[in-house]
Amino acid sequence: MKFFQYLLKIDRRIIYIVMGLLVTLPLVKPLGLGVTSGPRAARLFQAVDSIPAGKTLLISVDFDPASMPELYPMLTAVMRHAFAKNLKVLLCGLWPTGMGLAIKAATDIPPEYGKKYGEDVVYLGYKPGVDAVILGMGENIKNVYPYDYSGRSLDSLPMMRDVQRLRDIPMIVALSAGTPGYSDWLAYAQSRYGMKVGTGLTAVSAADAYPFLQSGQLTGLLAGMKGAAEYEVLVQKSNYSKAYMPAVAAMDSQSLAHVVIMILVIIGNIAYFVTRKRRS
Amino acid sequence: MKRNVPLAICLGFGIVMMVQFFVPHPISVGFYDLTTKWVRIVSAFALVLGVGSFLMYHTEKLRRRRTGWLYSIVALVAAAVSTVVGLAWGVKQTSPLQNYIFTPLLVPLNASMFAILAFYMASAAYRAFRARTKESALLLIAAFIVMLGMVPLGAAIWHRLPDLAEWILSVPNMAAKRAITFGVALGGIATALKVILGIERGWLGGGKQ
Repeated sequence: MKFFQYLLKIDRRIIYIVMGLLVTLPLVKPLGLGVTSGPRAARLFQAVDSIPAGKTLLISVDFDPASMPELYPMLTAVMRHAFAKNLKVLLCGLWPTGMGLAIKAATDIPPEYGKKYGEDVVYLGYKPGVDAVILGMGENIKNVYPYDYSGRSLDSLPMMRDVQRLRDIPMIVALSAGTPGYSDWLAYAQSRYGMKVGTGLTAVSAADAYPFLQSGQLTGLLAGMKGAAEYEVLVQKSNYSKAYMPAVAAMDSQSLAHVVIMILVIIGNIAYFVTRKRRS
Repeated sequence: MKRNVPLAICLGFGIVMMVQFFVPHPISVGFYDLTTKWVRIVSAFALVLGVGSFLMYHTEKLRRRRTGWLYSIVALVAAAVSTVVGLAWGVKQTSPLQNYIFTPLLVPLNASMFAILAFYMASAAYRAFRARTKESALLLIAAFIVMLGMVPLGAAIWHRLPDLAEWILSVPNMAAKRAITFGVALGGIATALKVILGIERGWLGGGKQ
């Protein structure tokens, strides 16, 4: 009885230490559980894969560093896929704190494929006024963003000559950690301009997007770090990239974290029911 | 007068914008382009309002030496430094804003804040997630299946577990989500109509007529 009562009052620091150790260990020594791709990630991959070479893929970086472990690997994997297929990548964002991450991706990834800023990739930056920004881009991108993030005129960037409005772009991938995000691209870019919209979301918000996926409004969905890992595997299996896969590497840690939480819940329930029975 | 003019503008623009959506005529499209520009300009003022509110809150806290006033100094200094560096050097990859503020400070701080949720969640689940009723037991079982099915370990335990997790997400979860989405959408339409027709006037704030 005392043992179960002790379990119910266990010091939270012990839980923190156990969790910390089990999350850290697989990062040092991977378990090698492997990742298989699911149908939602495959749909997004197929959609990006089917865009003709030379066309533009729009990626909206709607997240901040808090969601970076889940969403940044999606951004790099989708960009690598696009460049391997000789697509041009147009980046924009509805979150001001996502700017640094988009700039990092626009700087780090293109050189891997010999791509140049202005010719193969452009980052528009952040603009306030979510719906007005998307609707404005639908009419004329240069009206909303006359300059890129660093103040260069869009007219001076060769890539932007063929990209005047959203209808010139076959697809958008919105990587969203909340609102504003994919739901705004669905409401305005998809419904009004008929754009194909794929998305990558944090695991906690992925369930909200399922109805849009089933209705066909969403072209594909990457859910959390697992979604990122699935896309990384698809890109690598197709020989589009040989780069390090951070999401795949982190999946072992996530597996163990889930198991720890489950074991803790089971122990907590056993202790609760045993002590309750004895008390009654 | 102070209320009637905004109400009339709201009614007029509400109806015009609804009609405009279905009319692809160049005049309609031009008007739409113009109004979205107005919205972007008005939205930019929200940032000014936000910064003003932030400054007033923290300077007041500092002046009155309220609990945690030291943190207000940190907030104000951080805001001032970011603003000065951003205005002086811009936001390019080579800017000090990126190299000394965003990458080495904001990224790890923001990521750490989110990462510690895993520890709190584990502790909270241990203390609070109890199968006291049939409904909570059902929730617990569903959560276990989805948690295991969503990680590679689940497939290693039983190869059909990811399918079962997928079914839970695609059928019962989606049915509930869809119902909530419909409810929210209908509520949104009703609220929009109430605002346009002047029934809902909360957005006007207080004050005399």
